[in-house]
Amino acid sequence: MTRWEDFKASMRPKIKEWKFMFKRMRGSPLSLAGVAIILAFVIIAVLAPVLAPPQHADPFKIPRDGEVAKLSPEPTPPTMKHLFGTTDQQYDIYYACIWGTITAFRVGITTIGIALILGVIIGVSAAYYGGIIDEVLMRFTDIIIAFPGLILAMALVIAIPAIFTVNLSIGLVVIFGLIAFSALIMRTRIKITVTLFIIFVATIASLFIYPLNMGFTINNLDKVLIALWIIGWPGYARVIRGEVLRVKSEDYIEAAKACGASDLRIIIKHILPNAIYPILIMASLDTGSIVLTAAALSFLGLGAPPDYADWGQIIQRSQPWISSQHLLEFAHVFLIPGLFIFIFVLGWNLLGDAFRDVLDPTLRRR
Amino acid sequence: MGLITYVARRLMFLIPVLLGVTVMIFALTMFFSPTIRALLYIRNPQMLTPENISSVIARYHLNDPFYVQYFTWLGQILQGNFGWSQTANMPVLSAIIAKFPATFEIIVFAAPVIIILGLYLGIQSAVYKDKIFDHITRSSAIIGWSLPSFWLGLIFIAIFYGLLGWVSPGRVSPEVQTFVNTPQFTRYTGLYILDGMLNGQLWVSWDSFKHAILPALVIIIIDIALIIRVSRSSMLEALSKGYIVTARAKGLAEKEVINKHARRNALIPVITLSGLLIGGLMTGVTITETVFGFGGLGNWAATSARMIDVPSVLGFAMFTALVFVITNLIVDILYAYIDPRIRLV
Repeated sequence: MTRWEDFKASMRPKIKEWKFMFKRMRGSPLSLAGVAIILAFVIIAVLAPVLAPPQHADPFKIPRDGEVAKLSPEPTPPTMKHLFGTTDQQYDIYYACIWGTITAFRVGITTIGIALILGVIIGVSAAYYGGIIDEVLMRFTDIIIAFPGLILAMALVIAIPAIFTVNLSIGLVVIFGLIAFSALIMRTRIKITVTLFIIFVATIASLFIYPLNMGFTINNLDKVLIALWIIGWPGYARVIRGEVLRVKSEDYIEAAKACGASDLRIIIKHILPNAIYPILIMASLDTGSIVLTAAALSFLGLGAPPDYADWGQIIQRSQPWISSQHLLEFAHVFLIPGLFIFIFVLGWNLLGDAFRDVLDPTLRRR
Repeated sequence: MGLITYVARRLMFLIPVLLGVTVMIFALTMFFSPTIRALLYIRNPQMLTPENISSVIARYHLNDPFYVQYFTWLGQILQGNFGWSQTANMPVLSAIIAKFPATFEIIVFAAPVIIILGLYLGIQSAVYKDKIFDHITRSSAIIGWSLPSFWLGLIFIAIFYGLLGWVSPGRVSPEVQTFVNTPQFTRYTGLYILDGMLNGQLWVSWDSFKHAILPALVIIIIDIALIIRVSRSSMLEALSKGYIVTARAKGLAEKEVINKHARRNALIPVITLSGLLIGGLMTGVTITETVFGFGGLGNWAATSARMIDVPSVLGFAMFTALVFVITNLIVDILYAYIDPRIRLV
């Protein structure tokens, strides 16, 4: 019982904080609009199989009716059968827009998530360990930031091979080796370090007993995601490095060190909670732009394959008519998916703005 | 004298940045097999025989180890040879010089509007915080920032070309394009607006001006949000400072307080951002150029990246690094001008 009381007592400030945040969010009509927009898209994504029943085994493949050879090369305007009309080659735009919502969530959330994790790992290690590690990691970050993101992403999409053959055992040895040695550097508890080293040695042993080879095929959309991770992390790394440098010299960090806490414990329990908010705000503001970048890559013809449900890819299909008078006649091909992109991004930007107002300590109590 | 040594020292930074960028791009191209990189040099599909490919690989040393290829390339650069751009069908340096005016024609209209109007709206929005003006400015900034540039471009083309028939996509109308290529027209700067005036052919200037407006408008609508947001928040911060209270307490007119005391102190973050923004625009507005068929730098870089045209991408990367180092330098000098407490060291 006392434990529960303790827990409640320790949670009280956090609950108060959440209540405050909730109140602030409720007070601003713009943030409510953002929440409503994102919720609406979540509902569309969840109900996608009902709203647009899939006709292929792969639900992301856009259906088209009739025999492929006889399909008209010109888009048809909206009808009852095709609510938003069709593109050239008669791909159904309504279906693409509905299932494209899932693609958009996948692009936005996974890329930001992974870029954030990479950025945190690199930025925190640079700031915490300083010296040569800091120098090397940050110069590398600068180089990636110095190059225009879109062009780098394009080069990466082309550079990433479609088929990877990975020797899984070697991969495991490398991964466990890295984990074990970073545990050693970070002075984690001796039991954990020893266990990690035993696993590491075991994977080396398994390499001789049972080598695993594995092939991966990745489609164009996955390549776009990987390219966006690579161009995404440096911004976060740079900002969190600054924050960690600020927090690192605080007295409570010294106290934790004096108590003999391991580096990992100090980073996770003491530094990160005090340093992470600026990049969380950044991330929520970036989710919209990353969807725009992915759509732009699709528009340049480097994104999802031609029959894949993706908003940018549909808009790209109106490109042949840009310099002809027919663009207006076939306006539904770009107008409707573009509206989906626009409202989706708008929702994230409103939400990001609201998060910033609520979370940023320099803005919140004004 | 202090300024000159400062500039010289800052320009020295360019060398490590350029080395870093080029090593990275070079490493990236090593993902491709020599065969794929050789394909770029063979234009005629009938020439695609294994013998031809291997002769190209041998001629361009595509099979050498990474560092050998890199240092060969570096040696050529030091002799002023930036390589041949297959995508532009001319040397890389000439390609950059030829493509840059098209990009510049858009930016020269977009950038001043973005910075001046953005700054004005941001400051007004901070002064009238939580009033109707503030709400309208902030929401339109968020809306502009959320618009996909290619979508906005397509809508503009559909309205102004498809519906109203005012301008065609492209940098100039077809008849101007043919005239510009005749010997009667001398290209002094590559900027058609300026060249038209210098040649006494004002209709060329007018035509190219008409074509630059729509892409510039797309960029303005989208990028102004950044400046508004930053100038608003830094103005809010400046207005909350003690010296503003003092200025008001001693009875200064509100106009004086805002224009003289607060605004100057709110400028630093806006200048930082403007430098980054202009640098970004100078190195090409890829999507907008592609939609409007403007053959500028961004479009060229995008095509080169897709064609795996290594010399072009490397040349573009170096140009980008140069632009960013120079804009950062100008920004730092402006800091010292705006805020006398900042010394250039």
